[in-house]
Amino acid sequence: MSNATIEVDGLHKRFGPTQALDGMTFTVMPGRVTGFVGPNGAGKSTTIRVILGLDAADQGRALVGGQPYPQLRHPLRHVGALVDAAALQPSRSARNHLLWMARSQGMGANRVDAVIELVGLDSVARRKAGGYSLGMRQRLGIAATMLGDPPVIIMDEPFNGMDPEGIIWMRQLLRRLAGEGRAILVSSHLMSELQDIADQVVVVGRGKVLADAAIEDLITRASSDDVLLRTPTPAEAAGALQRAGAAVTVIDANALSLSGLEAHRVVEVLGRAQIPFSEVTAQRATLEDVYLQLTSGEAEFRGRPAGEAPR
Amino acid sequence: MSDALRAEWTKLRTVASTGWLLTGAVVLTVGVSAAVAAATHVTSGQGQDSTKLSLTGIYLGQTVLAVLAVLTITEEYGTGMIRSTLTAIPRRIVLLAAKAATMAGLALVAGVLAVAGCLLAGRLWLPAAGLNPAHGYALVSISQGPTLRAALGSVFYLVLIALLGLGVATTIRDTAISIGAVLGLLYLPPILAQAVADPMRHHLLQVAPMTAGLAIQATTDLGSQPLAPWAGLGVLAAWTVASLVLGGVLLRLRDA
Amino acid sequence: MTVTPPRLTKGPRHDGFTPLLRSEWTKFRTVRGWVIGLLVAAVLCVAFTFLTTNDTHEGTCTGPPPTGAGPNSPGTGCTTGHPFVPTGPGGEAVADSYQFVAQPLTGDATITARVTSLTGLTSTRPANVAPSLANTRPGLAAWAKAGILVTPSTRQGSTYAAVMATGTEGVRWQYDYNDDRAGLPGSVSAASPRWLRLTRTGDTLTGYDSTDGAKWTEIGTTQLTGLPATVSVGLFVTSPVTFQDSNSGTPTQATATFDQVSIDGGVAGRAWRGQAIGYGSQSFYPTLGTGSYQRSGATFTLSGSGDIASGVGAGLLGTDTAGSILLFGLIVGLLVMVVVAALFITAEYRRGLIRTTFTATPNRGRVLAAKAVVIAAVAFLTGGVSVLIAVPLGEHLLNHNGSYVFPASPVTVVRIMVGSAALVAITAVAVLALGSILRKSAGAVAAGIAVFVLPYIIGSTLTGSAEQWLFRLTPAAGFAVLGALPRAAQVSYPYTLANGYYPLSPWAGLAVLGAYAAVALGVATFLVRRRDA
Repeated sequence: MSNATIEVDGLHKRFGPTQALDGMTFTVMPGRVTGFVGPNGAGKSTTIRVILGLDAADQGRALVGGQPYPQLRHPLRHVGALVDAAALQPSRSARNHLLWMARSQGMGANRVDAVIELVGLDSVARRKAGGYSLGMRQRLGIAATMLGDPPVIIMDEPFNGMDPEGIIWMRQLLRRLAGEGRAILVSSHLMSELQDIADQVVVVGRGKVLADAAIEDLITRASSDDVLLRTPTPAEAAGALQRAGAAVTVIDANALSLSGLEAHRVVEVLGRAQIPFSEVTAQRATLEDVYLQLTSGEAEFRGRPAGEAPR
Repeated sequence: MSDALRAEWTKLRTVASTGWLLTGAVVLTVGVSAAVAAATHVTSGQGQDSTKLSLTGIYLGQTVLAVLAVLTITEEYGTGMIRSTLTAIPRRIVLLAAKAATMAGLALVAGVLAVAGCLLAGRLWLPAAGLNPAHGYALVSISQGPTLRAALGSVFYLVLIALLGLGVATTIRDTAISIGAVLGLLYLPPILAQAVADPMRHHLLQVAPMTAGLAIQATTDLGSQPLAPWAGLGVLAAWTVASLVLGGVLLRLRDA
Repeated sequence: MTVTPPRLTKGPRHDGFTPLLRSEWTKFRTVRGWVIGLLVAAVLCVAFTFLTTNDTHEGTCTGPPPTGAGPNSPGTGCTTGHPFVPTGPGGEAVADSYQFVAQPLTGDATITARVTSLTGLTSTRPANVAPSLANTRPGLAAWAKAGILVTPSTRQGSTYAAVMATGTEGVRWQYDYNDDRAGLPGSVSAASPRWLRLTRTGDTLTGYDSTDGAKWTEIGTTQLTGLPATVSVGLFVTSPVTFQDSNSGTPTQATATFDQVSIDGGVAGRAWRGQAIGYGSQSFYPTLGTGSYQRSGATFTLSGSGDIASGVGAGLLGTDTAGSILLFGLIVGLLVMVVVAALFITAEYRRGLIRTTFTATPNRGRVLAAKAVVIAAVAFLTGGVSVLIAVPLGEHLLNHNGSYVFPASPVTVVRIMVGSAALVAITAVAVLALGSILRKSAGAVAAGIAVFVLPYIIGSTLTGSAEQWLFRLTPAAGFAVLGALPRAAQVSYPYTLANGYYPLSPWAGLAVLGAYAAVALGVATFLVRRRDA
């Protein structure tokens, strides 16, 4: 699938006094799930709307498979997008909602039934979509995304309103779609949602990209080589480890933080010195830590720290 | 374009309100015409226009068609559906053209039914009201040239009104305000005309979409009409085209 | 052992209606579009009043048709501005044109006369051509008048009292243009003459009639306060414009023969003097001929045209009143108000806000009531302010452009203003209720507009009474609040909508609209309680 790419190049957009996009640039590659994260108001949705031709950028361009979205003849066969699960008319049944979409792409009703089955809405597809729960609407949105069997898939906050079972199903679906060689862009304001599915992460804040890297690189870069040690005899342990070349910091009565020595070396040293311990952990950064590091100071809307009473 | 057309047609036929509104338009038009025909009592041999009288219901029926046309676009904006639509059909002019074509088709069908019903009502009831050959009035029949022109023209009138509604609604995007604007545009000028003096009154009737467009219904005393029949329909068509062009340009320029 | 569940402690009671009103008001005023909507409604109302009145230029065309032109073409000698309209003792517009033969009389007296004949002529010229005695056919107006009249002054609009024989309405006792009392029925002929008598005692005037001059019956009496000692007293003849089946009236002339004329008591003047009052192109009231008077011995023959009565439109004054000025501006303003009122309720349904609202106040009927009160108040104020500006503005422009605006008492003006504001408020409530029933703005707006506007449009294409019924039975009946034209039973005139007369009285019309609003609100309350939010 050579046309399975999204190229976003130098997008600028201003809404009144707000600079929504300020040079947004990134690329989504085929066969990978690209996470698109950032705090609320960072410009994720605006970027996606510009990619889909819903909004016009003041500057810059966005290409899907090398073409601007509005020039695609049957766009849903190129791009499946889940932008707003509520973007439907409540008085129309789910099946008919998908049917008009299929018609607009020159497709028939059999494709509609196929995607309904894919998302598991078979039993309720002839009911009015207005009566759907948030999770059901989300599934309907995903069915619409899959309608044209597109090489590029864009999902804006797909986990919103899904039950745990749905989230697991969604993750599996995204992995499978990426495995088929599609380019997948998934936005979220929660890094944790992307932890196990994203290959690549684009972190944004205030309308521009803060980091764009493979998830492993990002974590490694953010991780220190510190090792956490829990032991009932911290003084002896500290002595032995310092002799082996580690720098030791005391965290509390039973815990030490070590640097300059890898975790397996720590175990080796302690074993040789016959010092008991209950835990040795390499301090790997989580994706969440990376995210918080990157976006501190970038959040558009920041709550008052918990505990501080409103005046 | 054909895909967009099929999509828009699927959209229209899969909401119940379309059927109700179309039926309502036909029933109201014919109903009002029948009621007027039944309530008419001609005493003196003044110049009544049987055909025009038969088609009175269009004054009300057009409202329903305009509402339907407005809803086809404002409901999408109201619900957020427009984003799905524009994602599926990103060429916005194609989208508007598809919407206009579907709406025109539906209005045409409703218009033919409504006008046929009106003329039938006029044929059945007006003779009893004194508009009969005995009083020098011919029976309403489309075998007469002017009546045929009035009937066809009225169908076109309804189609143009529906498209005018679509154009205005594409410009305004809100249901209530669009309906207010369309109905204001249709109904206020004739009332204003009753309030102003003659050179302005005459010009107002000539340029206002409803009064100009309905000149097509006159079969007698054409001199008393603000415009010649087809010229009047042309004025309405100009309004419709202008509203669609404005709507189309704004649809192109604005973010969804 | 029983366990009593802990009772929810009640906070300070806040279930009064006022907080609910406040919350609904806050909802209204915080949507900028709606506040702008009100502004637009007011501005459009005033602007369209300006437009319609500014464009109205009044003028009259008199004189014969131009040479070579058809008999239906307008006359030459057109002048701008309206003709002189007399003002009656109560400040109202009156018609006061008649042929008079009178003499001064001082002190209490009794005047007697016998009418032996009353005949008439009707103009056959079209309404837009000056009438001429050369183009007439025989025809006596129903309200042609011949009798005895007492007035302190022959200035038009003066106070008076008169006893008279009429074309077909019998003998009548009338005074000060509006008051009318019937005496003997039937018409006058030589075989069946009418004896008339008018007595003055101080300020008190009394009218009598008789068939034989011996047996007298009192018809009516009145006090004309401040009547001077010396008054004009005499015989008069006049004949009003008649309306056949069209709206354009034709002037008429009546000729009456009097004899047995006597004045008992008082100090009478020396001689009878004929006077044609209110004739000529300066007077608004169309007359036929110039009026004449002949006396041969004891027989007086008078020919007169015109009327002494309330100044009803008569086709020449136009139909402008402090109320009619408002009509178009009010319709435009109403249209905008309908949209705002519909949005005020349907926006809640569209966005699901209604669930939040009903969670905050579970008593849904009260929510609806609060909304109705808020929209009614907002609409009343918007309407009131618009009208407060529009009425004086419109009146000024019309007067400036030479149009005649029927004088209205301050009470009438206040009634028109309050009524118009109430019309806007009730309409807004009705549309709000409709919006709550339908839960969609489309239906509420379309119905709200069609109901008010269509009667004006369809009405003009309908024949006969159908139009009248539209303004009796549909919510458009509420426009009756604008009605301010004088109406008089003793003036035969087509009191039709086209001439500015509503079939219902102002408050009755408003009540019809109110009934619709009440029914809609009732249904809405019922449904809002029963349906899921």
